[in-house]
Amino acid sequence: MEAQSQVQQSKSIESQLVITSPLDLLFNPRSVAIIGATPRENSVGGVITKNLLTKFKGKVYLVNPKYDEVNGVKYYKSILDVQDEVDSAVIVVPAPTVPKVVDECIRKGVKVAIIISGGFSEVGEEGAKLENELKRIVQNRIRVLGPNCIGVYNAFNGLDTFFLPEDRMGRPKPGPVALISNSGAVAGAILDWAARRNIGVGLAVNYGNKLDINEAELLEYFARDSRVRVIVMYMEGLKYPGEGRKLLDVMREVVSIKPIVVYKAGRTKAASGAVRSHTAALAGNYEIYRAMLRQAGVIEADNLTDAFDMAKALATQPLPRGNRVLIITDSGGMGIQSVDALDMRGLQVPELSESLQEILRKQLPPLAVTRNPIDLTGSATDAMYKFVLDTVLPTSYVDMALIIALMQIPGLTINLSNYIVEARRFNKPIVVVSFGGNEYVAKFENHLEENGIPVYHAPHRAAKALWALYEYAKIKGVVRGW
Amino acid sequence: MVMNPIVAKALEEGRYKLLEHESFELLRQYNIPVPDFALVQDVNEALKVVKDIGYPVALKVVSPDIIHKSDVGGVILNINNDDELRSACERIRINIREKAPYARVSGFLLQRMVPEGLETIVGATKDPIFGHVIAFGLGGVMVEVLQDVSFRIVPVTEEDARAMIREIKGYRLFNGYRNMPVRDEEAVVYIITRFSELLSENPNIVEADLNPVIVLERGKGAYAADARFIIGTA
Repeated sequence: MEAQSQVQQSKSIESQLVITSPLDLLFNPRSVAIIGATPRENSVGGVITKNLLTKFKGKVYLVNPKYDEVNGVKYYKSILDVQDEVDSAVIVVPAPTVPKVVDECIRKGVKVAIIISGGFSEVGEEGAKLENELKRIVQNRIRVLGPNCIGVYNAFNGLDTFFLPEDRMGRPKPGPVALISNSGAVAGAILDWAARRNIGVGLAVNYGNKLDINEAELLEYFARDSRVRVIVMYMEGLKYPGEGRKLLDVMREVVSIKPIVVYKAGRTKAASGAVRSHTAALAGNYEIYRAMLRQAGVIEADNLTDAFDMAKALATQPLPRGNRVLIITDSGGMGIQSVDALDMRGLQVPELSESLQEILRKQLPPLAVTRNPIDLTGSATDAMYKFVLDTVLPTSYVDMALIIALMQIPGLTINLSNYIVEARRFNKPIVVVSFGGNEYVAKFENHLEENGIPVYHAPHRAAKALWALYEYAKIKGVVRGW
Repeated sequence: MVMNPIVAKALEEGRYKLLEHESFELLRQYNIPVPDFALVQDVNEALKVVKDIGYPVALKVVSPDIIHKSDVGGVILNINNDDELRSACERIRINIREKAPYARVSGFLLQRMVPEGLETIVGATKDPIFGHVIAFGLGGVMVEVLQDVSFRIVPVTEEDARAMIREIKGYRLFNGYRNMPVRDEEAVVYIITRFSELLSENPNIVEADLNPVIVLERGKGAYAADARFIIGTA
């Protein structure tokens, strides 16, 4: 009996999850009904129908009174006709029909509704009335994501309500990054971008008009989900009175468990008008948002690329115990750029002790610079990098490493990536700067990233990633003297 | 939460602004250091009360109708003895008669002068989404022209307060720039956290300024030398 249950548990990650809140069912339902399902391929409902039928690892029920059966798949007239238990409903019907459909879901005992349909408060007074009617029906009897949202993407179980076709929006592989986006379109673009760069965004969500489920609750959920190691948030603005304080409290709590990186758009006065018309949110006063982020210990990004640069490091690297960086480079110029970028962010590049430099000098060619940055020059080899890493990184003089490897020089081979990956055993953060366009470089970079070493195409991006690790280390209290 | 009697009284009288002595009284209730003060009705009372407060003092007109006291000649600083106090009372009376003849005068605020120090501002607004937000900056042009201000959302912890003080570019002035003394940073941390408490417990305050908060050298404290509270019905 016991052995049997163990076998069952190891079958999939999904079955290991303990369902403790309705938000577990939002991301990990055992069964989903699509209300407004359709075989018409390029419609919103059609893309979702295809996504779930082909990828979702659970039961799917299609609901649409127009069809009986298409390609051997049964269509139900109403959710009430489904005999089995349904955890979650994805609703893709015209706005005026949504209240009736949600009412049926409640009667059926569905726990969560993802309302994709638009045409509510975002379109003006009529829509706002409809949203209020919906709110009256919902009244804690069902949990609602949306309306007017792109919904949920879960790479682990194939739950995917993003209604953008696969050939237009790539789907990222399962991974440790979770995304909460204020904008549906931005969420779609981010996933496409992340898929192309092989960044594992395992979970993503957009909450649309936020009738019920909000950022704070989503953060709380991601804090508990052990598959998530870092949460990235794209924010335009909040809209309900008092919710800023609540979000601050929740963020503070979540940050004590795992890092949050936020990119807040709508920073300028010029943008605040656009934000208002976009989300029907009150004009966000950026200064106040920034205060909230700082107070909560959230790491603020300057743009989306920046957010994922930092997320990549936070998801894969241990936290540093201090702010001192070892730089190893095969280009003096890149070394200087890195020192600038690190210094601007308050990180140090300490000169190594004379005795340590003496050890390095004995093994390195006479032209190499051993102060830190360690400049191996154009005659660098894989072995020299390995020697410096193994000699300096474990010492108490440095807390992390920034490795610049311009792979265009002949002495470097793909084997360097193995040496760098092996240096993870020192349990200090390592980031790599690589730059170039040939396939050999791409192979080098892929090998590093697949083995948990983040690669950046410019020194300032790598420096920012190390800064984020240091900031989070301070917040977590692992830095000496903090 | 029971409304603070000072705030309640103002609302009852239909005022949206606390009078000077009410503002100082409110600060005192929250242990925010303010210079010794008293509300007096005339010159005789002033001469009596000043014996407890001690010179030098400042004299300010208190009126629900006057917003900018100094614009109407309603403020006289650095009064050093009884003669100067007598003529200051007279001077303000004449100024008000000329420049604000219809203003109701509730009395005069007699206030001990604070020694010179680093002038800072601790302010607050109430945002519909975030609630009370506290701002901190240096006095004078630094806040207005350079916008060298930091913000935190109430409740502000000691750690938050320390971070917001250190966040402004002018923070160097706290550390003894050139020949200036090192300032009492912890006294400001204390004021900010007490101010946060005051705001939390008084949701009717929609805007507030402690301007200036004068920061003395380390170990000697900081004082809110002037305060302004705007209240609303929410």
